[in-house]
Amino acid sequence: MRIVFLLALLSGAIFYSYIAFFDLTFLTRTGRIGPGFFPRLVGGGMIVMTLWAIVDALRDRRAMAAGGAPGADDAPSGLWRDVIVLLLLVLGYGVLLRLFGGYISTVVYLGLALFIFNPQRHLQNTAVAIIFPSAVYLAFDRLLNANMPPALFNLPF
Amino acid sequence: MDIFSDLVLGLSVAITPMNMLYLLIGAVVGMIVGVIPGFGPSAGLAILLPLTFGMDPVGAIMMLAAIYYGSMYGGTITSILLNTPGESATVASTFDGYPLAKKGRAGPALVMQAVASFVGGTVGVLMITVLAPMFSQVSRSFGPPEYFLLAMMGLMTLIVMIGSNWKLGVISALIGLALGTVGVDLETGQGRYTFGSAELIGGIYFIPIAIGLFGLGELFYAFYTGMHRAGEGTLVDYRKETRFWPTAHDFLSTRWTMVRGSILGFVVGVIPGAGATIASLMAYSAERSLSKTPENFGKGEMAGLVAPETANNAASSGAMVPLLTLGIPGSASTAVLLAAFMLWGLRPGPLFMEQNTELAWGLIASMYLGNIILLAINIFAIPLFVLIVKVPYRLLGPCIVVICALGTFTVNASFIEVWLMLAASIVGFFMRMYGFSPAALVLALVLGPLAEQALRQTMTISRGSFDIFFERTASLSIIALTIALLVLLPLMGRYGGRAKTSSKAKG
Repeated sequence: MRIVFLLALLSGAIFYSYIAFFDLTFLTRTGRIGPGFFPRLVGGGMIVMTLWAIVDALRDRRAMAAGGAPGADDAPSGLWRDVIVLLLLVLGYGVLLRLFGGYISTVVYLGLALFIFNPQRHLQNTAVAIIFPSAVYLAFDRLLNANMPPALFNLPF
Repeated sequence: MDIFSDLVLGLSVAITPMNMLYLLIGAVVGMIVGVIPGFGPSAGLAILLPLTFGMDPVGAIMMLAAIYYGSMYGGTITSILLNTPGESATVASTFDGYPLAKKGRAGPALVMQAVASFVGGTVGVLMITVLAPMFSQVSRSFGPPEYFLLAMMGLMTLIVMIGSNWKLGVISALIGLALGTVGVDLETGQGRYTFGSAELIGGIYFIPIAIGLFGLGELFYAFYTGMHRAGEGTLVDYRKETRFWPTAHDFLSTRWTMVRGSILGFVVGVIPGAGATIASLMAYSAERSLSKTPENFGKGEMAGLVAPETANNAASSGAMVPLLTLGIPGSASTAVLLAAFMLWGLRPGPLFMEQNTELAWGLIASMYLGNIILLAINIFAIPLFVLIVKVPYRLLGPCIVVICALGTFTVNASFIEVWLMLAASIVGFFMRMYGFSPAALVLALVLGPLAEQALRQTMTISRGSFDIFFERTASLSIIALTIALLVLLPLMGRYGGRAKTSSKAKG
């Protein structure tokens, strides 16, 4: 999985460098450093370092296959399912924020998240899902006069 | 004006009812941020920064600084009672803090950590008071070449401290530098990596990235490691003890430990990239080496708790020196503080203390007061923070998501930035998992545009010649200092790391 992440970074680095080399000029017409100077250094460096890290990762993988210890930066095994569920909830929350605004979407998101991660404590979950967004609304909107996300569709109540 | 009259001016600025209220709020929030595992000062500062927009700049900066150094106090409570550091700078406090609690001395350990933190923090501020004006004086001769070199020094020292994963640290820094190039080039007006988007013309905003990497990214990682499935853990009940207060022997036996820890912590803190974690581990190692009873370390020795506590608090003060006098942050937390200064239209640097006397000295004076407030809170509000420790992560986690999302939105009322924060959180999770350095990314994102601008100015001055870096005394001094740090810092890291290894072997 580390290699997949590194490959994703490498493709990003190649894309970044492509623009730096082909779209941005190295020097300005007056001979000064142009907008492409710094990005070319950064992009080139990123490609070299990511390739180096990929070679290291491949070497670690081969050593592990031969019965060696995992590399220093190998990830510990973890709870992927819970991370993916949380990620989906967070993405859903992002969509809800746009549609129904700060308060309603937070109540819905928290209710769902607590139902999944804190099961069988319905009273506690309901209380947190209502009290916490209310407290946040009061603190952000009323007390600190900060922007709360407005709703695209206002509910009739 | 001399230092004393500057400090009196600072006190007159800091001591107003509203500023004291902001300071108190900052101290309490900092403690809470420190208490929550996996939620460090960088995330806390980034999330709360937008909420200070409606405030007076002096009060806002005082509050944010209090969150920063307050988190050092809070992190130790869980180290002592739960054997879980609230944040990385309090790892060394678990070595003897938790054994002390297990021996039935949780109360004295909590009080002594508060006293040690207070001493470390206060000595640190005393040193800022004396040294910051001197640093400002020295750095007045600095020009673009020196600023470019200083930015590079900050990045390189941070990467070197990452240790065996330094290559991943370099990649992290390069990602930050790359993100820093997005937006319109101010010299030529040409758009870079904007892809026709009006939202990207001004560049990638720092706050959503910091909140995503340190707030949500850390949360995903906490879920990945199963923190939300863990119970309350074996929280030591300090109330069952007969003696809550430390003995006179506790104070007397650690008085020199506090002095040594404070000085060492401050010096390490001033070095960009080294930070409070290294300072606390080094202070622990040094104290054990100097002790007549090193065999007691790791088994509940009071000096083993006091040394890292004084050091990490002194280091957090020390890190303010390069920030205020050079405008160069040495860590992710101070990078967020720099962003806060910039949002208020302030540019820390050599002239900052002279041009913003009231604000600069008000901030320094507030740090004295903040440490006093934190000492009182630490001792008398322990039950409140124990209550927070008891809140299960499965309840806390989903609530942190809400704070991160709404905190991001409040900055510019932009949904794009909320999505940017979510994207950064996914990248942050993988970075955390595979040993990359989110701190290096954030630091590079802040320093990158400054470094690029300084480099371009330098090249204009020198007409394209890099010899300028070797022709100026100040530049040469910075290059020499950088080389010295690149050699010394890994040795310091190894020295501090020994404490960790031997403690693990005992534990």
